[in-house]
Amino acid sequence: MIFNEIYSMLAYYLPPKANLIASALATFVLVLIVLIATPIILGWVDRKFSARIQSRYGPIYVGKFGLLQNFADVIKLMGKNFVTNQHVDRFSYNLIPVLSSVLSFLLIALLPFGAPSLTFISLPYSLLFIYILLAFSPLLIIIASWGENNKFAVLGGFRSAAQITTYELALIVTFISIGMVNGSYDIINVIASQSLIWNILYLPLTAIVFFIGSIAVIERAPFDLPESSQELQAGWRIEYSGLKYGLFMIGDYVKLLAVSILFASLFLGGWSGAFLPGIIWFWIKTVVVLMLLMSLRWSLGRPRIDQLLSIGWKWLLPLSVLNLIIVGMVMLI
Amino acid sequence: MEGKGIELNVGPVHPATHGVLKLVADIEGDTVKNAKVEIGFLHRGKEKIAELRYFNSYFPIVDKLDYVGALNWEILWASTVEKAMNLEINDRVKYIRAVMAEIQRIMSHLVYIGSFGQDLGNLTFFIWALRERELLMDIVEEISGGRLAPMYNRVGGVFYDFTDGIADKINAAISKIEEKVKKEYKAMTYGNSLFIMRSKGIGFMSQKVIKENGVTGPNMRASGIKRDLRKDEPYLVYDKVDFEIITENDSDVYARFMVRVREILESIKIIRQLLKDMPRGDTKISAPWIMKVPAGYTLVRHEMSKGEGAMFLVTDGGLKPYRLKIRSPSFYSLQALPLVLEGCKVADAFVITASMDPVMGEVDR
Repeated sequence: MIFNEIYSMLAYYLPPKANLIASALATFVLVLIVLIATPIILGWVDRKFSARIQSRYGPIYVGKFGLLQNFADVIKLMGKNFVTNQHVDRFSYNLIPVLSSVLSFLLIALLPFGAPSLTFISLPYSLLFIYILLAFSPLLIIIASWGENNKFAVLGGFRSAAQITTYELALIVTFISIGMVNGSYDIINVIASQSLIWNILYLPLTAIVFFIGSIAVIERAPFDLPESSQELQAGWRIEYSGLKYGLFMIGDYVKLLAVSILFASLFLGGWSGAFLPGIIWFWIKTVVVLMLLMSLRWSLGRPRIDQLLSIGWKWLLPLSVLNLIIVGMVMLI
Repeated sequence: MEGKGIELNVGPVHPATHGVLKLVADIEGDTVKNAKVEIGFLHRGKEKIAELRYFNSYFPIVDKLDYVGALNWEILWASTVEKAMNLEINDRVKYIRAVMAEIQRIMSHLVYIGSFGQDLGNLTFFIWALRERELLMDIVEEISGGRLAPMYNRVGGVFYDFTDGIADKINAAISKIEEKVKKEYKAMTYGNSLFIMRSKGIGFMSQKVIKENGVTGPNMRASGIKRDLRKDEPYLVYDKVDFEIITENDSDVYARFMVRVREILESIKIIRQLLKDMPRGDTKISAPWIMKVPAGYTLVRHEMSKGEGAMFLVTDGGLKPYRLKIRSPSFYSLQALPLVLEGCKVADAFVITASMDPVMGEVDR
């Protein structure tokens, strides 16, 4: 854990009690930096990348190459008034943005950042905990959409619930397969056991299922049906504005990064690789997955909700179960 | 599902309704039980304005009827007044007008297929389509000085001749568009399995519905009715060029999209022929700016990018029209929309609406 690393680094200079406080503070600052930097940097990459695809410039005015544009946007979002409609249920309306962003930050806190010691929280069953965090989000979305008391929001919330429950089943099968192959639900052990052969070679079908399922779970285009800005305007986020909407946006980017780190470490061997240091390999793999996710967003239209569900139930879930059975049989022999 | 459904008000300000169209849909589960179309949010009384203006001063108003196909309407209005006055225009003017009409048709169809892609959630495609439209916009700007509302025509001719070397520029632009439509657009839309999944098999519009509601243009041709005023009652110089009437037989959303895509390619063919055969000559005849038009009734129909547009002009021998009736194709497409929307999925409702290509400027008038 990052806390332990800092603690052992400072142990030579500080007495134990002061060290505890100092390293806790240092960890907190690091957490803040990661939390603030991730969405802003990712947002910039997303904007520039989409602009290149769409033959536009993207942000160019604020800072060099528009690098500071997202800082400006965040500041603007903070300065906005809180507009709350009269008919919303205030408790759930105000609770959900906070809860959902906390959940996505917890998600990223559980993941390693390129080395076994570079995690904020290390748990023996981190994969299961990640699954629980992902499984929470449809609940939050249903509460939010119901609390907003808006027809578009309700339609979006229903879609979201249907979509995410479908794809979480595929994801849990994926995690079970990973656990079977690598003999552990700890993400660091999973990476360690891939040092020779990556999981994607054992579980090619599962990798595809996880890739598609993860886009659906984090509700990125082309599977952004609950929001679908062209049909439902913003779906279940329709009543949110200002900083509350900004929290959702930040949560989105954090989830995007979390999913790409997850894919890189579960299927592409994390920091295992030749010649280069492990941390560089890790980030190369993560960025490749991230770019793939982003380019899908900007090049595909979205399917209809019943088509999406039928893909999930008829193809992804059976495929991942099939791969699980094959792996199980191979392991028995 | 038991019980009452949801009544969903979509629009008039909504990103997917192409202007200020309002849909009131009764929804049960994920199915649209019935839908009503409410129009009139952009009503500016354009037919009435015609009675207050000189014939040549009405062009700026005509431009705003169908704001993505302005030149088509300009040419129709000019032709109507010329027919009422029995004016014979030069051959060169006819060629220029035909070229501009086809350029405008391509631009209008590009907006259609771009915004259609956007309604499917693909913003990239919308921007790509506008990028190609920009090539033609630049040409229209160079010729006429205007872009969206060029105000290029006048009674008896056009304001400016083609600039030097514009033919090469047009050829270069349409060649580029042809290449993009055949390759990039195919990968992005009509060859893309996700796109086909979304657009095939929804929004059927039978020939009966079309005939009862007077739907014309690409929407009609997508249902297998072979009718195109450019071929059936040739105006301008369409009898001298070689082109085909594009039809599709599936009568669904995909067919309506494909008709537009293939019509772009057909229009490119027409422009190439016209530019090759273009005669020399004057671009206006000496008609006064303010003139009297003999009393009578005049009806002129042209093939717009969205269907058959017509103008029925009643004149009493004065300086201004006595009465003008405009037949706008989008209005009739919207009339058939509730019948087509019945029983579709909620997400499809927006795609079907987009496939009708309504432009509210000419619907509300």
